[in-house]
Amino acid sequence: MTTISAQFRNYREPTKDEGIREFFNAHPAGPDDIPPTGKDVTEISAVMSLKGEDQSYSGRLYLMPPFLAFVSLDRKSARFTLPLYTIRRVEKVNSRAGMFELSLVLWHQMKINVQLTSLRPTADSFCAQLRDALKAQLPQMKKLRPFIRVCYSEHLIKQDGEEYIDAEDDVKDGLEDGVDETIKEAQTEFLGGLGLTFKFPGDPKKLREKSKLKLWKEYLRTHGRNVTLVRYPSVQRLIQVGLPNRLRGDLWETLSGSVYLRFANQGVYEGILAKHKGETSTSTEDIEKDLNRSLPEYRAYQTEIGIGTLRRVLTAYSWKNREVGYCQAMNILVAAILIYMSEEQAFWLLEVLCNRLLPGYYSPSMHGTLLDQRVFESLVSRCLPIISDHFHTVDVQLSVASLPWFLSLYINSMPMIFAFRIVDCFFAMGPKVLFQIGLAILKINGEKLLEIQDDGGFIHLMRDYFNTLGDSAHPHASDSRMRAITNFQELLVVAFREFSVITDDTITSERKRHRNEIVSGIESFTKRAAVRNLKESGAFKKEQLGAIYDTLYKAICAVSASGSGASALAALETTDAQGRPETRIDLKTFRIFLSNVATWARDESIVSNAFVERIDRTVAEHELINRIFFFWDVSHRGALSFQDIVTGLNGVMFNDLMSNIEWFFTLHDKDKDGFLTRDDVLQLSESLLFIFRNEIGDAYLGTVSNFMTNAFEYGDALQPENNEKAEVPEGERAPEPPTNTPYLNLATFRMVVLADELLESFFDTDFSATFKLDIYPGPESPSESTGLIAGIGGLLSNLITDENKKTLNRFADEFGKSIGRHQVTYRPAIGKVDRDMALQEPKTRESLLSPQIRDRSMSSGSLTSGASSTSLAASTSEPLTPGLLPPQLPTIPALPERTPFAIDEVQDDDEDEEDEDDLVVTGGDETLDERSLTSLFKVDAFLQENA
Amino acid sequence: MAESGDAPVDKPVQVKLVLLGEAAVGKSSVVMRFVQNDFSENKEPTIGAAFLTQKCRLEDRVLRYEIWDTAGQERFHSLAPMYYRNAQAAVVVYDITKASSLEKAKSWVKELQRQANPNIVIALVGNKLDLVQSPAAAGAAPAGEEAEDEEADDATATPGEGGEQPLPEPEQEGESLRQVPKDEAAAYAQEAGLLFAETSAKTGEGVVEVFTEIAKKIPIEHILASTRGGSGSRAGGAQARPNVTLQEGQQPAGGKACNC
Ligand SMILES: Nc1nc2c(ncn2[C@@H]2O[C@H](COP(=O)(O)OP(=O)(O)OP(=O)(O)O)[C@@H](O)[C@H]2O)c(=O)[nH]1
Ligand SMILES: [Mg+2]
Repeated sequence: MTTISAQFRNYREPTKDEGIREFFNAHPAGPDDIPPTGKDVTEISAVMSLKGEDQSYSGRLYLMPPFLAFVSLDRKSARFTLPLYTIRRVEKVNSRAGMFELSLVLWHQMKINVQLTSLRPTADSFCAQLRDALKAQLPQMKKLRPFIRVCYSEHLIKQDGEEYIDAEDDVKDGLEDGVDETIKEAQTEFLGGLGLTFKFPGDPKKLREKSKLKLWKEYLRTHGRNVTLVRYPSVQRLIQVGLPNRLRGDLWETLSGSVYLRFANQGVYEGILAKHKGETSTSTEDIEKDLNRSLPEYRAYQTEIGIGTLRRVLTAYSWKNREVGYCQAMNILVAAILIYMSEEQAFWLLEVLCNRLLPGYYSPSMHGTLLDQRVFESLVSRCLPIISDHFHTVDVQLSVASLPWFLSLYINSMPMIFAFRIVDCFFAMGPKVLFQIGLAILKINGEKLLEIQDDGGFIHLMRDYFNTLGDSAHPHASDSRMRAITNFQELLVVAFREFSVITDDTITSERKRHRNEIVSGIESFTKRAAVRNLKESGAFKKEQLGAIYDTLYKAICAVSASGSGASALAALETTDAQGRPETRIDLKTFRIFLSNVATWARDESIVSNAFVERIDRTVAEHELINRIFFFWDVSHRGALSFQDIVTGLNGVMFNDLMSNIEWFFTLHDKDKDGFLTRDDVLQLSESLLFIFRNEIGDAYLGTVSNFMTNAFEYGDALQPENNEKAEVPEGERAPEPPTNTPYLNLATFRMVVLADELLESFFDTDFSATFKLDIYPGPESPSESTGLIAGIGGLLSNLITDENKKTLNRFADEFGKSIGRHQVTYRPAIGKVDRDMALQEPKTRESLLSPQIRDRSMSSGSLTSGASSTSLAASTSEPLTPGLLPPQLPTIPALPERTPFAIDEVQDDDEDEEDEDDLVVTGGDETLDERSLTSLFKVDAFLQENA
Repeated sequence: MAESGDAPVDKPVQVKLVLLGEAAVGKSSVVMRFVQNDFSENKEPTIGAAFLTQKCRLEDRVLRYEIWDTAGQERFHSLAPMYYRNAQAAVVVYDITKASSLEKAKSWVKELQRQANPNIVIALVGNKLDLVQSPAAAGAAPAGEEAEDEEADDATATPGEGGEQPLPEPEQEGESLRQVPKDEAAAYAQEAGLLFAETSAKTGEGVVEVFTEIAKKIPIEHILASTRGGSGSRAGGAQARPNVTLQEGQQPAGGKACNC
């Protein structure tokens, strides 16, 4: 049973501030970066220009430590994300009437002018905040130089271009023999990927590397680079013609914002590798399987150098992000990235990919992938309805082709040189690019797509198309320039012109629209799989297993929702004996689970305020529950799997009298030697008291008391070492026998139980009946065949409304209290004994408090205190409504027919006290003796039988 | 390619076949052996699924396999229904040198039997047979070498590669590498009503036979009746278990993926 990540399940839309940070890739490096005021992002209208350039752009300026960021009003022409530690000075330019202009002088002397166009006070306050934020970042400044020095972009603009590119050719010529020295030299100078050693894919001449590098060099000289890059419209154009290979890694880092993460986390990558050296996990095993299978046609990955690099990045990331671990396709992505970047750069880019750009794509449930496939489907039906209709008609599923496109950023689908150009755009413009390209592919192939008849035809067509991306799009055109346009160029043009309507907002809102559908789809799939994969399902029917699963799942969600994010993992992802991933739950989650299954594992109070009655459930805590947890944990993992729970429940829910007695006995037989020790007996009694704590009246209390008396009486009588005790010197009372030696065997225990009618009935039917499975209608999707996309709502919506309900309830309670109409009563777990019966069986209380037993019970903590106080509370409660009773107990004639929880019937507190006194006082010795006698008689008979 | 001499003019019967099984058991390699009669040591893991086609010729009918080769990693599991829906045949592969892969295979069988097309023909295939055979006995060496020669370009630069392979060289280990006894798997297959075979994608042993056995068992009548536009003739041959010959899979030169 795998579960959806808590992150996805408890998904919440980002706040406005988070959204802004997201847009600028400007995430705080640590908690220090968020001002204590809580106001994270300050923004102001501004006009931005670069010193020495004509263009200026009006837009918004944002201060969000440690960054200052700007974007033009159209959100694409101009933007920057400047770390504050790159700003050397801020000068106030002499302002025209009321105008407020700042000149930001960066470490490399570039000047960015920003004119704050807001009202004076706003601008003043912005400046003040900027000043403070700059001061706070001063310590970071000294880290900047060594960090920047090895960036290829720095290297590029320092060198004389022509000379440099010649050097590049030398490297290539030397590749055949002994180039390693040249390479090493180059690598110490600047960061780069395997491509420096093993060549970059594609023909540098055809790719026009030289001229591209030259253009970039000019641009970077005047517009900042790496962490200070200012993006003007020409950047967009430069990106769309394809980044030059040597600069690609550097720019990917900059455009995606992963460079900021790398700056903020220097040394972390190496640290993770060192910390986990030699360790293995399922992820590392999976990684090993795939190392030789990642872009095997690229030369670097036929050598130990390349394989080692790939191994380190993938394993380090699997340690960093345990929830994701490793997913096939990541190997291809990372192998690709590593051609252009150093390991550490690739590591942080992978972090940005998994967390931000492709959220949930690679997680165990792959919910992000499924969600985006759904979004893509919906965009296709909106933008290309004819194709979409045809697909429906011939029953072709879009994702059979499109899923790998998204999952491997087209790297697996088209020739690498083209895929990398899409990746260029993707890092620059975000996930919408994947959708735009996908739509363009379909649109361009529209006519042929209308002829396909099945999935296979679709795949074929796509494959053929990808194989001709380098061909002319207009081979028969008379104009030679037209002929020169390749299919790939056409693809980009269609993607970015015709599908420019697809914006970040489109994707965000589409994801939002389909999220619940995907959640419930995955849920019902995992549920079916979990139920199907059970090795033993005992006497349960399929719906009951489903109900157990649902309850379990609800418990996991409740824990992760209450916990603070990922740190509180309710579900432990482990692997089963076959190495399949398996979710196990810890004790805390188990308590919640059990509280929803067994009536005695929760406290249910009936609260009536001025408006309504409702039942509040709280999870009970008791040694008994822990005991069951460890009893069911047959593989001693400290956590229970779905199978453990099913087997466990099966062992108790369908029991008859004898097997229930045995179950209870074994549960308390700590060392499983077939004997209860005296301690065990006490614990067992305590467990009984716990179960009975909310029962009405004292009948159960008396029963437990009797049980203990009898148990110890017969236990003592049957002690074989009783004879030995004769050797104890006279005059000294025989010492209490040690509490931890074998004492009571099953036969004796059985006998003692059967001596009491109430206990007998408890073990016969009542106990099993306290386990109840709620069968939810649930998001069971009728058609697994169509995948995961079925059903709506799911538990997510429940959680949301639960939150609201709580607030409402709190309000109502307060109000009820204020007008004196607030009542709380406890609901019993068994509910068999009603008020009248309780009054008839008062006497047992005394024996419970007899000195001998009290002494013992003191030693074991909460025995009397907890139990009796709750039962006092219970004694005030109304008899239960029929619906609340176990169905197996219809024979309760005293049960009055009433509307549930009628307020007016509840007795007030004074009466309680009296009741209690009555109960104690009316305890007649006569009855007690009688009872004991009959019990003894029964026991004797039993002993004889079993002798 | 559909024309092949004496075959009747019927359109080939389309048979959708899906491959399932744990990661790296050799699903893609088995398909590649079947479709292209080729083998490569370092096959990229399948992302989502790959699609290939291959034709078989029954006595009087052409059968065209549409093969969906799925990704093996556990987390791709939830995507599988997309590929096995409407499948008429399934090949569930495990690795005979890895016990856990049989468990995974069993759970796939269970899922198919509950969720897939009720008439689906399932074959259980234990792959990597070459790893447990002594080279002489298997007669596998020539084929194996041939395969390696073919991809010499890729392989030359990888001297350290042997160490990376999850499994040691067969020559040294022999039968001791085997973790799944043939009897055990066969007994399970029998009990679950599956076809069963052990194969080596590397040497090619047993691979084609798997697909021919499936072809024999496929209720072709049924498919013809139910396929859209299935106006093809309803020759009774299918049920008489005619000889099945592979049209081209055996010719190393002729095989070409998904071009039919
Ligand atoms: N010795 C040997 N190796 C094999 C055989 N079949 C596959 N392999 C190797 O096992 C590895 C995995 O093979 P693949 O065919 O990619 O496995 P897969 O089942 O498709 O894996 P996924 O796509 O990840 O699910 C490759 O390195 C193959 O070379 C075989 O019959 N013998
Ligand atoms: Mg594969």
